[in-house]
Amino acid sequence: MSSKNKSIQEKTIELNKLVEWFDSSDFTLELALDKFKQAEKLAIDIESDLSSLKNEIQVIKQKFSKEP
Amino acid sequence: MAKSLQPIFSVSDFIAVANQTFEYAFPTVEVEGEVSSFKVNQSKFVFFDIKDSGGSIGCFMTVWQMRVPIEDGMKVIVSAVPKLTQWGKFSLTIKSIRPSGEGALKKSFELLKLKLDKEGLFEIERKRLLPRIPRHIAVISSVQAAGYADFVKILNDRWGGVKVDVAHVQVQGVGAPDQIIQAINYFNQQEILPEVVVIIRGGGSADDLSAFNDELLVRAIASSRIPTLVGVGHETDESLSDLVADVRASTPSNAAQILVPDKSEIIRAVNSQVSSLLPRILQIINQQSHDIELTLINVANLIERSIDEKIRWVTHTSNLLSQLDPNVVLNRGYALIRGSIITGSEINIETQKFIIKAEVKDVVKK
Repeated sequence: MSSKNKSIQEKTIELNKLVEWFDSSDFTLELALDKFKQAEKLAIDIESDLSSLKNEIQVIKQKFSKEP
Repeated sequence: MAKSLQPIFSVSDFIAVANQTFEYAFPTVEVEGEVSSFKVNQSKFVFFDIKDSGGSIGCFMTVWQMRVPIEDGMKVIVSAVPKLTQWGKFSLTIKSIRPSGEGALKKSFELLKLKLDKEGLFEIERKRLLPRIPRHIAVISSVQAAGYADFVKILNDRWGGVKVDVAHVQVQGVGAPDQIIQAINYFNQQEILPEVVVIIRGGGSADDLSAFNDELLVRAIASSRIPTLVGVGHETDESLSDLVADVRASTPSNAAQILVPDKSEIIRAVNSQVSSLLPRILQIINQQSHDIELTLINVANLIERSIDEKIRWVTHTSNLLSQLDPNVVLNRGYALIRGSIITGSEINIETQKFIIKAEVKDVVKK
């Protein structure tokens, strides 16, 4: 799945995993910079996604004025 | 005797004409008064009188029309059709009844609260969790109400991407409970259910908010398949709809706050998470540098110790060797003899300062 098609929730989960990696025993300095760049890009994407999302509000046509 | 121009009715015709006149003059009449002689017959039919200091009228209704508890002494407003019965008794056939005045509202509220509480409708165990981030919600409110505008503003400020279906209903007055019930039923009958039903209304008087203490409405909220969030009135207001809802919000704005997270907070948290990574990398680099430095110091110490040991060994060996040097022995006053130890043979005697030629005079075993 490309980064563009991922939901905010999926991106947040991915970011959390990346951040956890820095505290894990898998951490190596050789990979750290690459992982950091990935995390930075995800943060930018999440901010952009959140800022651009709009709610879709629709007043339904059904009338509720009559007594049941 | 002159014939009267007035029509002569049969009794039943007159009753019918009287009722037609009433119907024309008062299709529906609202009367305020105090309840007395309240009784329920066969668990179906409700009879009571409504009175004030100057008069009293009999009233009739079915128990299903009674949306709030009523008892003697309670001040009520009845919406009714005036009727002359076939026995000539004038009465009001009640269409709806509601408590009037703060005291009656409070009394009715307490009675219904007690009744529903006994049935377990307010139990914590019944409460369901709302989804953390809903994608599809239903809102039941009046779109003209300030409370609805507050809710929408906070919702849009905090989060996006939510499909919001709004049922525009009356949120006060006699028709409000039925409209809200119909809206609840409408959303519960959808093929794709919304994840939450939000019922909201801004502040108002006790009478304005009394619609949310309607028994049938409270039961409709309790039986909703969709989890419910109710935000009615101000923080200090308490309605039975609040109590029965899965989640209670203190105001419509608070309902929006409960419903969705704040995107600004999430953006701040995400940026803070990422910002914390660089210092962490630097910290790890520093830590590793420090570790390498310590390792180098240890290696240097080991080498130094090894060299010291070698130096000590060399010194010791050198000292030993120096003790074996013949010159050292000569310096101590000893002499070195070279030649055959045979009587009459010539030998060389070396001292520190001289080399002496000598002859062996005698050789005796020790």
